[in-house]
Amino acid sequence: MAERDLFEAVEYLKREGEGLLRRFARSHRGVSCIDLRFEVVAGRSAAATNGEPRDSSESENAAFGLAVQVADRSGVVGHGQAGAEIGGLARKPARLPSVIRGALEQAFDRARASAREKAAIVASMGSAARSLAAAQVPDPPAIRDSVEATFKRDPRGIDIDELKQLALEASRGVKALGSSIAFNVAAAMTEYRRELFLNTAGSVITQAFSFSQGDCYVVAQNRDGHQESYDTIGQQRGIECLEEGWQSELMPNPTLGEFALDLAKEAQELAAAPALKPSEGEVVVVTDPHFNALIAHEIVGHPSEADRALKMEAAYAGRSWFLRSLADSEIGRIVGSPILSACSDPSLDGYGHYRYDHEGTAGRRVMHIDRGVFAGFLNSRATAAVLGVEPNGSVRASEMWHVPLIRMSNTFFLPGDSSPERLIAEVDHGYYVCGNLVPSIAESRENFRISARRVYAIENGRLGRLYRSGSVIADSKRFFMNVDGVGNDLRLIAIPNCGKGQPMQVKRMSNGGPTLRSRARLGGAA
Amino acid sequence: MLPLGELQRFARAAAAELSRHPEFAEFEVYCASSLSRIARLSYTSDIPCRGVEEIKSLGADGFQVRVVMRRNPHEVGTASEAGDLSRDALRRAVDRARRAAIIDPHFPGLARDTEKMPRRPTAAGDLARASDGALASCAWRVVDGALRAFGARYTPASRSPGLVIGGDVTIVHDRIALANSNFPEIRTDESAHFVSSVTALVESIDAKGTDSAVGGSIVRMRTAAGSLGRNAVLRALRLGAEVRPRSGRYRVVLGPQPVAEILNYMVMGSLTTGAFFAASSAYQGRFGDRIIDESLSLLDDPALRTGPVHRKITCEGLPARRTDLIKSGRLVGLLSNVYDSHRLETDAERVEKLGRLGGDAKFAPSAGYRLGEGGGRRFDADVGAAGTNVVMRARGGVSDRAILEAVGDGLYVGRVWYTYPINGQRAGDFTCTVSGDSYLIRDGKIAEPLAPNCLRINANISEVFSRPIAVASKIVPTIVWGSAETYFVPAIAVEGISMAEIGANP
Repeated sequence: MAERDLFEAVEYLKREGEGLLRRFARSHRGVSCIDLRFEVVAGRSAAATNGEPRDSSESENAAFGLAVQVADRSGVVGHGQAGAEIGGLARKPARLPSVIRGALEQAFDRARASAREKAAIVASMGSAARSLAAAQVPDPPAIRDSVEATFKRDPRGIDIDELKQLALEASRGVKALGSSIAFNVAAAMTEYRRELFLNTAGSVITQAFSFSQGDCYVVAQNRDGHQESYDTIGQQRGIECLEEGWQSELMPNPTLGEFALDLAKEAQELAAAPALKPSEGEVVVVTDPHFNALIAHEIVGHPSEADRALKMEAAYAGRSWFLRSLADSEIGRIVGSPILSACSDPSLDGYGHYRYDHEGTAGRRVMHIDRGVFAGFLNSRATAAVLGVEPNGSVRASEMWHVPLIRMSNTFFLPGDSSPERLIAEVDHGYYVCGNLVPSIAESRENFRISARRVYAIENGRLGRLYRSGSVIADSKRFFMNVDGVGNDLRLIAIPNCGKGQPMQVKRMSNGGPTLRSRARLGGAA
Repeated sequence: MLPLGELQRFARAAAAELSRHPEFAEFEVYCASSLSRIARLSYTSDIPCRGVEEIKSLGADGFQVRVVMRRNPHEVGTASEAGDLSRDALRRAVDRARRAAIIDPHFPGLARDTEKMPRRPTAAGDLARASDGALASCAWRVVDGALRAFGARYTPASRSPGLVIGGDVTIVHDRIALANSNFPEIRTDESAHFVSSVTALVESIDAKGTDSAVGGSIVRMRTAAGSLGRNAVLRALRLGAEVRPRSGRYRVVLGPQPVAEILNYMVMGSLTTGAFFAASSAYQGRFGDRIIDESLSLLDDPALRTGPVHRKITCEGLPARRTDLIKSGRLVGLLSNVYDSHRLETDAERVEKLGRLGGDAKFAPSAGYRLGEGGGRRFDADVGAAGTNVVMRARGGVSDRAILEAVGDGLYVGRVWYTYPINGQRAGDFTCTVSGDSYLIRDGKIAEPLAPNCLRINANISEVFSRPIAVASKIVPTIVWGSAETYFVPAIAVEGISMAEIGANP
C-alpha cells in the first residue's frame, strides 16, 4: 500500500483540527484560548569541503506546537505550552489527533499548575504582586486564508544529486584559487514548508514557503596574515536562485559558484592586507548596504521587538534603548538624523517575507524610525495590549515546536537620494566600511562594535588602501544622529541565523539599507 | 519521551534488518529521545506581566541511520526520521540515505570498538521523573524569593522601582540507543540535569544582579529555586550609586562568569580537531606548545562527579572520556569525533597545522556528540565535537581576598555580555560589555559598584590567559547562555585590559 504523503497531514488537520480544539476547550474548565501550529517541512541539502563532497541530506519532518491559556476561579491566568517533532507519526490519521490531544492535556495541566502557583503568590504578596494581573488581550479576529509558496522548481522534486553537484562545483572553484586558500566549505539548501495555524477563535490559515540558500566559509592565509570570511545568499524561491542567480533590485544574488569565488578572492586579498589600526577618536565612515544590514539588525530591529523592550528578554539578549519604562520611551522622540528612517516590512519579497504571523495576525509594515523619530515596535497580541496599540503581526517561531517570539521580518534603513559614489566623493579623510562580519552590542543595544570584512581609507574623495580586521564602534544614538548622507542604493541581505529565546531559536530574515555616512570610532586588531 | 527499552528494541531490530542488506559494508542506527522542559521567568514590577511566561516543552524522538557502501568504503549516506520508530520509517530512512550518499575520499568508516562496554547504571537520577508541577513550583519559588527579598530590602527611591526578574528553570533529559555494525552490543545512555539562570534588574537604581545553578537532582533544583531569586535581587541591591570608569587600560579581576564566557566563545571552539583542520584555531601551529600561563590547566570530563552533565558514551557510541586539553599551559589534547580525528591525523599539512610538536599526535574521538539547542542529544543532528563539564584549574591558586590584593587598584568584572570573536576565531580578538555584578577595586578591596553596561572590553585571549597576575583557587560552576557545556572555572586577575566607555562621547 502506498504511504500517505506527509503533507496530507496539513490538510487533515485543517479539516479536523478546529473541532478538536473546540471540543477540548469545552470539556476543560477555565480554558480561554488555544492556539495550534503545525508544519511539514521537506528539504534537501549538500555541502562540500576543499573541493570534495562532505555531506548531503534529504529530510522530511512534521511538528506542532500548541499553547493553552486558562483562568482559575479568581481570574488568575496561567499559560502552558507543548511542542514536539512527530515526523512520520503525522502520516497516521488514527494517531495524529491522539498525539495532539495528549499535548493539549499536558499544556492544560502546565497552565493550571502555573495559575495555581501564581494565585498563591498574588494572595500572599498583595499589592506587591499587582503587575501579575496581565493586561487583557482582546480576542483575535477569525481569519481563514491560504497562501502558496513561490518557486520555479519545487524543492520537493529536486534530485539531491543536483545539490551535491552545486556545492561541489562551488567548493572546487574556491580551491582552484590556490594554496593560499587554507580551507573552504560551500553548502546549498532548498526547502519547502507548509504551515497551519488554528485557534479557538476560528482562524484557519495555511501558508507555504520555499527557501533556498547558499553558504560559503573560507579561510585564506599567507605569510603576513589570515582572513576568515563567511556569507550567505538566499531567497524565498526554488533552487533556481542558486543555479542561475537572482535578478531583483532589492535583493539580487549571483550564482552560488560566483558568490563563493568572490568571497574567496576577497579573503585572499584581505589576508595580504594590513590590519586596521584603531582610530584615536571619531572619523567619517561611509558604510555599505551589507554592513548596514547588521546595524539595522542589531541596533534597530532587535531593540524594536516589544518583548525585549518590555524586559521579557532581559536575562538573555538584553533590553532596548528605545524603552526605559512605559512612561519613558523614545516613541515620538528624536533618535537619529532627520534623513534616517527604518522599518520592518514582511510584505516585501525578501528572506523574511510572510503574510500572517504565528498568532494568526496579518503582518504589515512597521515604521521604527520615521525621519529621525522613533515610531514603533514589532509586537505580539499580548505586548500590543500592554503598549495599548494594535497587534502588527510580528510573532513567529523558527520551527513549530517552539514558542513564537517577536521577530524581525525584512528590517532595513530606507533609501535616500544620494549615490554611494557621491557619499564617498564628498569625504576628505575617512573610511569606507564594507561587508558585515561579527556584531557585539551593549545590553540595551545603546552601543555597538561591529566588524567589517573590508575597510578602505578615503582620501580626498577617493578610495585608498584596503585594511582587514576593522570594526565600527559607536553609541547607537550618536551614530544615528551623525548620519549626514543616505544613499539611493537600498539592498536587502539574507540573514540565515538570527538567534533568540531560551532555548535558542534560529530564524531567517532580511536586513539591509542603502549606503550611509556617519561618524564613529574604528576598532582594529587587539 | 520514549522509554530507553523502546529505543534499544528499535536499534536492535533495525540493526538486524540492515545486516541483511548485502550492499552495506557498515551501518549505524542512532536513536534518541529528548525532552527539554522550560519555565521561563518574566516578572516586571511596573509592566503587566505573567511572572512565569509559560511552562513549555520541546520533545524530539527519532533515529538516524548511516550506511557505508560495500562497493566503496568511502561512500556513506545519512538520513533521519522523526517520531516514528517502525519498519516503514526505517525503510524510508534507508532509501533516503542511499540517495544522499556521497563519496568522501577521507571518510574513515564508522566508529569501531570490538570490546563490550561494562554495564553501568545510567546517571539520569530522579530529575528524569520530575513532574511539570515540580518545575512550575520551582519557577514560582524563584519569583517568590525575589519578591520577598526585594520587599524586605528595597528602600523606595521611586514609586516605580523597575524590578525585573528574568531567566528560566530548565530540565534537559535525553536517552539514546545506538547500534553499530562494528560494535558487539547495542549501547545506551541516559542523562538528566537542570540549569537555571536568574537575572534581577532594579532599574530605578540602575543595578543588575545574577545567580545561576546547575545540578542533577530534584532536591538540588528545589534548593536552588529557594535561593536563586533572592540572591540575584540582593546582589542587585548591593549595587547602586555606581561609578563609570574612564576609558583606559586596567588591572582587572575577571570573575568566573566572564572567564567561562571567554572560554566558551573564544577558546573551546579552537580546541577541536575540526578547527585545526580548517586552519581556524586561535592556536594554529602551536599544538604541544605552551599557549597559556603554565599555572593553568583545562580539561573536559563527562563523568565529573560534581558536574550536572553525565555521559557514558558519545553519540558515536564510543566511551565518553576525560580529555586533557591544556596541561600546565601546554596544549596537549583536542576535542574530537571519529571523522575529524582521522581527517587531521592523515592531513598532508598536519605539521603545518598542528606545529612541529603535533606531528605524531593522536586524538581520541571521545567528544563526538549530536546536540540540539539547549545541549540535549538530537536524533538528526550532525556529529560535532563538544565539551560536557569543562574544568579550568590553577596551580598556586590564591584566596578571593588575595586575588583582589594582587590587583591593588583596578576593576572586578563579575559579568560580561555578548562576547564575540570580533576578527574571527583564529585572531583571538574579542569584545564584550561589562553588564553587571562589577566593582572598583581600591587598595586590594572591593569598593564602589560599576554601573552596568558602562564599559566595553576590547582584548585578545592571550591577554587574559597568558600572563595572569593571580588566579583564584576556588572553582565555581558557571553556565553560559546557549552553551552545551557547564564550566567550572576560577576568577583570573589580569594586567592591562583595554576598556572603552559606553555613552561617553569624545
